Amino acid sequence: MVKKTLSARSPIKILERNISGGLGSGNLAVFASRKGAGKTACLVQIALDRLLEEKPVIHVSYSSRVDYIISWYEEIFKNLATRDKLKSVMEIHDRVIRNRVIMNFRQEGMKTEQVLKSLEALLGPGNFKARTIIVDGFNFYLPCFEDLILFKKFASDHQLEFWFSCSLKGEDPLFDEEGFPIVLKDYLQAIDVIITLKHDDGRVKLNLIKDRNRMMSKKLRLQLDPQTLLLAGV
Amino acid sequence: MDRATKQMRNIGISAHIDSGKTTLTERILFYCKKIHRIHEVKEKEGGGATMDYMELERERGITITSATTNVNWNAHSINIIDTPGHVDFTIEVERSLRVLDGAILVLCAVGGVQSQTLTVDKQLKRYRVPCLAFINKLDRAGANPFKVKDQINEKLGRRAALLQIPIGLEDKLQGVVDLIRMKAFYFDGSNGEVVREKDIPAELEDEAWRYREELLETASLFSDDLAEAILENRVTEEAVIKAIRKGTISREFTPIYLGSAYRNKGVQLLLDGVINFLPDPSEVENITLDLDQKEKQILLKADADAPCVSYAFKLEEGPYGQLTYIRIYQGSIRKSDELFNTRSKQKFKVGRVVRMHADHMEDIDGAMAGDIIALFGLDCASGDTICSPGLNYAMTSIYVPEPVISLAVEPVDRTSADHLAKALARFTKEDPTFRMYIDSESRQTIIQGMGELHLDVYLERMRREYRVEVMTGQPQVAYREAITARAHFDYVHKKQTGGAGQFARVTGYIEPFDGTFEFINEVKGGHIPREFIPSCDKGMRASLKKGQLIGSPVIGLRAVLTDGQFHPVDSSDIAFQLASQGALKQAYQKARPQILEPIMRVVAETPSEFAGNVFASLNRRRGIIISSIEDGVYSRIEAEVPLSEMFGYSTGLRSMTQGKAEFTMEFLKYTRVPANVAEQLMEGHRKKLEAEQKK
Repeated sequence: MVKKTLSARSPIKILERNISGGLGSGNLAVFASRKGAGKTACLVQIALDRLLEEKPVIHVSYSSRVDYIISWYEEIFKNLATRDKLKSVMEIHDRVIRNRVIMNFRQEGMKTEQVLKSLEALLGPGNFKARTIIVDGFNFYLPCFEDLILFKKFASDHQLEFWFSCSLKGEDPLFDEEGFPIVLKDYLQAIDVIITLKHDDGRVKLNLIKDRNRMMSKKLRLQLDPQTLLLAGV
Repeated sequence: MDRATKQMRNIGISAHIDSGKTTLTERILFYCKKIHRIHEVKEKEGGGATMDYMELERERGITITSATTNVNWNAHSINIIDTPGHVDFTIEVERSLRVLDGAILVLCAVGGVQSQTLTVDKQLKRYRVPCLAFINKLDRAGANPFKVKDQINEKLGRRAALLQIPIGLEDKLQGVVDLIRMKAFYFDGSNGEVVREKDIPAELEDEAWRYREELLETASLFSDDLAEAILENRVTEEAVIKAIRKGTISREFTPIYLGSAYRNKGVQLLLDGVINFLPDPSEVENITLDLDQKEKQILLKADADAPCVSYAFKLEEGPYGQLTYIRIYQGSIRKSDELFNTRSKQKFKVGRVVRMHADHMEDIDGAMAGDIIALFGLDCASGDTICSPGLNYAMTSIYVPEPVISLAVEPVDRTSADHLAKALARFTKEDPTFRMYIDSESRQTIIQGMGELHLDVYLERMRREYRVEVMTGQPQVAYREAITARAHFDYVHKKQTGGAGQFARVTGYIEPFDGTFEFINEVKGGHIPREFIPSCDKGMRASLKKGQLIGSPVIGLRAVLTDGQFHPVDSSDIAFQLASQGALKQAYQKARPQILEPIMRVVAETPSEFAGNVFASLNRRRGIIISSIEDGVYSRIEAEVPLSEMFGYSTGLRSMTQGKAEFTMEFLKYTRVPANVAEQLMEGHRKKLEAEQKK
């Protein structure tokens, strides 16, 4: 029960209402921003939203160490538990861990085929019934259209949703006049949903840039709490 | 003093089983003139290699416990600590790695980086031990040191370069070319003891210059001087050595030596490398914990005049009594010094101080910071910290994990029974994670430890060293019971059977507690006289030894005594003890008890193509997969798995991965067993009780 009320209030549900009710299986979403704006915090909250509903999640990371990722989860979970006054926190925490697997691909230039093969091993023989895959640290600055297409095919074959982060690097302008991240321009066909995080009035706010076939620049009524890094309604 | 510290090295030799670690050690001892004849590891007569001094190790051709030995090379004193290559002897490995300042990582020129090399490599990294690589067995068919070099770089993620190239390979191996001095070296004499320096054979010139360039390029990363010298074409031997030394000590670079210990080639140059590139004790940072300041970290100085801080890392029962191996981190130890054991809080006077050579020893007057020595007749356990009086430091946290597995052992005859007691007394002293007790009901001797293999090794040692023949039961997982809710009790113990009666009444509650056990007395108004309060505590503790679900110890319980009643004549110590036992029994079921089982943290390493099989196998064993780290070739899968499901996993894992995967496990925590498993356990317990009653 606790979990249900929690989920209904969850800002993630607000986010999902804005993208036609949710990302849905077979689709790819990307959070894009400069480094340090809070992409990982958003990804972890998407994951925790699923985990609190006892839905398994795989967190794929290309860069961070496992203990670093775990500490992200711990931090966000702790803040969520405090904000939503969760009861039997330990028990819920145990269930969260039970339903989460972190996969870390350390080597630079790790092939997407190999990543998908490992995911397949975990989903199939590993009998891990995840429907949500979080991908952090994927490098969009290398040509990766084919890779994204592979991810998308994999998503639809296995009925998964993929949430990516995209770290925007280099000199301005990083966005075009419509607020679209320039680096993602070549990948429009492969990506279904794009959300950017931008500093606005001292807060990090979320904008929906692409939702399936519609290009837009819609301010989502969501921002990151600078203290807890939790998403909250504006 | 300072000069002497600079001329000290404490090194370990780490390797995959069978890559020739013991053979290499044997050659080092020979060239340093510590032994006068070379024994081979699996030699039938004359008793095997010198460092593998335990009979068991001789038989298996492997090294289990770490002996230490001191040698001299080029006016330097080197202590060699023979580290166990096997991953399961955690305490042993951790203790020996602790006292090392550097290591030689031995690799096989044919096998290259094998699964266990990865484990050993990880240990070296975890304990921040700088190391040299030695690619051994160049004489074997299929030897390819260049491939192994690439593997060290790719698979171990080390920045490594060859310091030598081979002159010939396999059965044509003659010697090596030194890329720093640009000379060829050959090893003559029946045991390779004569090192002959010559010019590089013409056909190897180009290759040598090519690999030298590669070496200089890497080495120049650690020295701007060298980088400059390369540009100006005035590279000196000294500058190269300095740069490599800096890179090695900061653990950013791994120099690679080549040879064949069995064919007596390359070992002397490797020893030069130990002197040139591995740190002396003053170059290594050592931390201790101040027990008077909540284990605050203190940095130690390798200074002979400072107060003494040393660490007993190994005990050995010899024919002349107990020998304690000690690494001195700070200050010095001399005969008749007064020292203090910070665990037992005992002061003692130093008797004989000796330097060890496998199993012969040499008496010395004393030794100073950085050195490794052995003391005679010291009553201590391994892992103890020995300080000058006035200091209260500990080199390792005093936390020792609880054993998670137990095994009943029964000696087959009287002689074995006598020896068993001796063996157990010694093992429990040597290894704090190994315990024993006598079960009060079955009268069986129960040994406990950290895993199946851990106990196996001790059983084997009993047989070999103490000639104890035992029959063993099935290994048992150490379950626990714990309550999950608060429950009240109000219990009267009354007995009137003529003569003095018994009367006691206790009231209060039990509740879950974040520790093992706590007893709180809140009785007011003298309803229970003060002298009977400890009896209540004692009664509670007694009934915690066996829980009511499956007879396992109860943990995490707080008992609060709030009220009671006594009788001026009939109340007694025993009456209150029995009343408390009854009270706990009364409240226990109401407090929703549950069974807890030990969960192990399992790390499996497998070629990535088998990752799916490993995921599946862990899943079948009720495991939770925590993470999987992949580097393109290998996957390292971390999971939490109940210990009860891990029996026989090593065989299972081997067969599903063509023997290419391996795993380690260590105790993590206790958690509740699932309902169906709890049912089975309780059913088993019921049957056992019924069977005992019938008897």
